[in-house]
Amino acid sequence: MPSPISAPQKCLSKDAFKVQLITEAITVVIGLVVLAVLYYLDNRFAWKEWIGWGLHGLLVIGVIATIWSFVEPYFLYKSWRYDIDEDFLQMKFGVITERHFLVPMTKIQAVSTKQGPILRKYGLYTISIKTMGSSHEIPGLPGDVAAQLREQIAHYAKLKEVEE
Amino acid sequence: MEAKRYHPLTILFDLIIQVKHLSFPALILFVFNYDSTNAFITYGRIVFYIYVAGMLVYLLLKWISYKYRLDETAFHLYEGIFTKKKQTIPFTKIQNVNRHTTLLHRIFKVTSIRFETGMVGDDSTVEFAVISLNQADRLEAYTKQAVRSEKEPEAKGKEGDATSSGEIGTLYATPERIIHFTPMKKEIIKASFTSLSFLGMITLLVWAYFKLTEYIDVEEQVVGIYSLITSSWTFITLTAVGLLVLSIVFGMVTTYIRYGKYEISSDHERIYIAKGVIEETAFSIAKERVQAIKIKQSLLKRMLGLAEVKLTVVGGDSDSDKDKQDVSSLYPFLPVKRAYEMISEILPAYEVTEEMTSLPKKSLWVRLVRSSWIWIIGTGALSYFKPNIWGWEQAWWIISITLTLLILAYEVIEFYNTRYTLNDHFIQFQTGSLTTTLFVSKREKIIEVNVKRGLLQKQLGLASIKTVNRAKPVSHKGVTDVPLELAEGFSQWYMGRRKEIKVE
Repeated sequence: MPSPISAPQKCLSKDAFKVQLITEAITVVIGLVVLAVLYYLDNRFAWKEWIGWGLHGLLVIGVIATIWSFVEPYFLYKSWRYDIDEDFLQMKFGVITERHFLVPMTKIQAVSTKQGPILRKYGLYTISIKTMGSSHEIPGLPGDVAAQLREQIAHYAKLKEVEE
Repeated sequence: MEAKRYHPLTILFDLIIQVKHLSFPALILFVFNYDSTNAFITYGRIVFYIYVAGMLVYLLLKWISYKYRLDETAFHLYEGIFTKKKQTIPFTKIQNVNRHTTLLHRIFKVTSIRFETGMVGDDSTVEFAVISLNQADRLEAYTKQAVRSEKEPEAKGKEGDATSSGEIGTLYATPERIIHFTPMKKEIIKASFTSLSFLGMITLLVWAYFKLTEYIDVEEQVVGIYSLITSSWTFITLTAVGLLVLSIVFGMVTTYIRYGKYEISSDHERIYIAKGVIEETAFSIAKERVQAIKIKQSLLKRMLGLAEVKLTVVGGDSDSDKDKQDVSSLYPFLPVKRAYEMISEILPAYEVTEEMTSLPKKSLWVRLVRSSWIWIIGTGALSYFKPNIWGWEQAWWIISITLTLLILAYEVIEFYNTRYTLNDHFIQFQTGSLTTTLFVSKREKIIEVNVKRGLLQKQLGLASIKTVNRAKPVSHKGVTDVPLELAEGFSQWYMGRRKEIKVE
């Protein structure tokens, strides 16, 4: 019974998954370099046999992870939805496992926007939200949307719930 | 009110802690090596003297410079000897009050009191390590009163005069307390069996035996005694009965010391839990600050119809020793019926419903599939290595089958134990396999919720729900594999929160 309030609608920026893709690619490259160095060292110093098997195992896992890391960002981006109203922040995402978070505005204690070098290239921001018990992130929002969302959350969160 | 120093006995109590710490190096330096001329020992002694002298000066200076002050709304703490620090902790932030009276405190007729807040870090509690009983009572009453008058501004008018005069000695008439529970002899006996404390005797005996062998050669005597006992049936029976009686008595005594004096009481604002025979601990919390209730039952307790009721509270450090942490537990061996009654007596705002919904059959399959990787990997490893136990070649597949059956049994039991219900303002669910926990919380106390659906859950229309409550550390509780309709209802239910919270 999907009703209007239980399903968040807003999507991330179209470029968000590119950022994710680049980040993943960099991670993959670093991982492969480390693995290559290990293979070289294994060859050079004739390490014990089981280490060689371990490296083969890592390579297989690495290849699978690489493929996944090129597929996942797109679907993750497609699955991401968020929404805010006066009372709640909602986030829903996940490719295989889908998560749906409901955070009351009154429990939000800090909200900020941040931007790394790759995000900057696309003019995107990540919003991070801290509550009494957890922290959340909405990755990859265009600059103006992010700023507006941040202000709006800050505004709604300012209403203080009487804490008993 | 002027800033005050802490109780002068604080110096003595600090000193005793220091003596405890220093006793080991002192033994090495002065007892074991009393005639040594080794340079290390000589210099060690000099360092020791300097340290002791410095410590004494420090303790004195600390007592002189550490002060506290109370005004109408907050504690003001002044700390530091050279680097001064001032800290203000508003009374409204206090979550619960703990009193701990050790034997030493009792000798001097003093106590220690801690006002715990929900803040994170070292400064989260206001602690008076030594304080006279009178003063502790006054502080507690004063903070309570201050919070109360802040909440009801119209009451502040008349009370405000009394407080602003600077005299906090006037005790406010607190509403009368009702005692809900003190354990009877029968309960302590039951508790001593449930907690298996009579087994403690065995550990004690083993420990004593090894201690003895360090000093004297008891082995021969033990062998002698053993052959004497086994020489006749009378001796065997006598020893067995003697040991049995001894361990039962031992169990009861230890249980009595831990749970003997227990008193759960409440007035219309606060809950009070006091316990301990030798070391006394008292805990008090405002009812509205209780975040959730947990009813815990181990397998043994379930069979005997006993339960432990625990309150989830915000204050209190998780890293402090277990004894202190346990204060939020109402008596751990309550008869189940009494436990439910008591919750409705103490916390009328909470309703514990006895009728709950069980999980649908399909969630059992998900659980079985999900846990199957353990026995699959286990069996794989066993069939590869084929360990030979006691020269028994078939051992591996027997172990594998046992493992599989145990895991399946565990999951099946957990499936049958899991129940849930969603009321107007409450969520309630029971989880756990051998030890079950029933969790009850109010909607307004839950600070966040989330719903999760895995691949398999999506196929079967199931979901996992989770609640987050304030506590230290933050408490996450949830049920896995509930029907999707419930998960959606759960989100809707939580959304309904907007109607009931009060905003400033």
